Formats: sequence, C-alpha cells, structure tokens
Amino acid sequence: MNIDQAADLIRTVLHQVAPDADLDGLAPDADLRETLELDSLDFLQVIELLSERAGVRIDEEDYQFLATLGGAATWLAGVAPAPAHG
Amino acid sequence: MRAAIAALMARSKREIPHYYLTETVDLGDAMAWMRDRNRQLPVPKRLVPAALLLKAAAVALRAVPELNGFWIDDRFVAGEDVHLGVAIALRGGGLVAPAIHRAADLELPELMASLRDLVARTRAGRLRRTELSDGTVTVSNMGDQGAESIIGVIYPPQVALVGFGRIVDRPWAVHGLIGVRPVVTVTLSADHRATDGATGARYLQTLAHLLERPEEL
Repeated sequence: MNIDQAADLIRTVLHQVAPDADLDGLAPDADLRETLELDSLDFLQVIELLSERAGVRIDEEDYQFLATLGGAATWLAGVAPAPAHG
Repeated sequence: MRAAIAALMARSKREIPHYYLTETVDLGDAMAWMRDRNRQLPVPKRLVPAALLLKAAAVALRAVPELNGFWIDDRFVAGEDVHLGVAIALRGGGLVAPAIHRAADLELPELMASLRDLVARTRAGRLRRTELSDGTVTVSNMGDQGAESIIGVIYPPQVALVGFGRIVDRPWAVHGLIGVRPVVTVTLSADHRATDGATGARYLQTLAHLLERPEEL
C-alpha cells in the first residue's frame, strides 16, 4: 500500500465514523481527534476499521502514529501489505 | 430538542437544591492495568477509560444507594437497580442520556459493549423509548476532548449526577515523592433534599477506592 492509497483508506474510514465531518478541508497535519471531534469510542472504531481493511495489527502503542492524516498515511503505508491485484 | 433540554434543565435548577462535591482521583494504576489488558486483545475487545469510570460509578452507587433513585412527592424513592444514564452528545447538537441497565452487574467487557452499542444507536437515532427514560442516575463523562471538570445539572426526578472530567497528566504526590500521574476530577452533584454532604463524600471515597483497584472492577 502506498501513501496515497493509505490516505484514501483513512478518509473512507473517517467518513464512515464521522459522516458529517468536512474531510475536504482537513489539513494533513491537523489533529484528527480534535478537528473531527472524535471521542474515544469513535477513535476505537477508526482503529478497528483501519486494522480490518488494511490487514494490519494496530496496538495501543501505535495510536500515537495515527494522530494526523499525514502521519497516519505514512505509518500505514509503511506497515500495510500491498492490496491484492484483480 | 433544544426546547426539551431547556424545560428539563430549568425545572432542575428551579426545584432541586443542588450541592456539589469534588474529588481528584489518581488513575495511574487503572490506566496501566487497562493498557496491559488491551495489549492482549483484538481492537473490538479493547476497553476505553470511560468503561472503567462508568463501572466504578455504578458499583459505588450500590454501596451508597441513597444517591440512586428519584425524588417524588417530597420523598426519596430508591431505584430498583442501578440503571446508569449516560449523557451522550449528538453530532448535530443536543444531548440525551439513555440508560445502561443493571450496570453494576455487568462485567467490564459487557459494559464496554453496551456503551459502544448505546452510543452507536444514539447517534443513529435508534434508541428505544424506555432506554431514554429509565435511568436511576446520570453520568456525564467529558472524554478526552472535554473540559477538566464538569459540575453537572441533575436530571429530574433523579437525585444525583456524577461528572468525570478529561483525564489529564498532573504532578502528583505518591509515597512522599512527586511523580506525573494521569488523574481525573470527579464531581458529584446531588439533591440536598434527599441526601447531605456526608453521604456524597462517602460515595466519592468509595468510587476513588474502586478506581485504585481496577482489577477488582
């Protein structure tokens, strides 16, 4: 998975968890939880969906890498396997 | 929605002589215990701090039942069990407080699942009418985007509201030394017609002790 694919996946997941949030105006370095007003349960759902769709294990120690869209895309691209072709 | 909240809160402040007590609780052991536990679990099974706080609030009410129930016709009517109303903010604005039934009896994973289910259904507008009306007490948890403490308004005809502020890292004395610990400020708002401060203080002490021994929750 490259960074663009990772960023797309993150946006899809964020849209699902916070359908009303304005993702177009979201800066890559903005704090996701603060900007999108995600509470701890919302964030847990984001982690759950990302983990499931990207096929990676995300531990609590990794949450720190998922604070911003830019940071999360970089981190996810580094750990997620390439999506299957076809 | 705004009008309903306005009517209820105005009634509360008009009729209920509130008193307020506050306690700051060291969550160092509770957070460490939760992290250890979560490390072994897949994401859907992980706990969030809110689950621990709600469980402790419910169990402490069982120990101090004078705060769990209603003020009706000039007397206190005890709740038949601890049905924990949880204040949940709606994305479009407004607030509801649906209840987690028999919250003190639920194991932590069950309570966590109930909380997730309740929040999801609240946001989707799929609550059952009874859930909205049968809380015996209300808990308002600020969460990690909220303020450091909350001094809440009681939901009539209930006689108490427990408010948890945001968990913050603070310098804290532990065994005579200063360390940095995650702490939470808990505020009890209670109806002075039903109880006095000594009862409220006993509740906060019980709650603090429970949060200091999370493995027993």
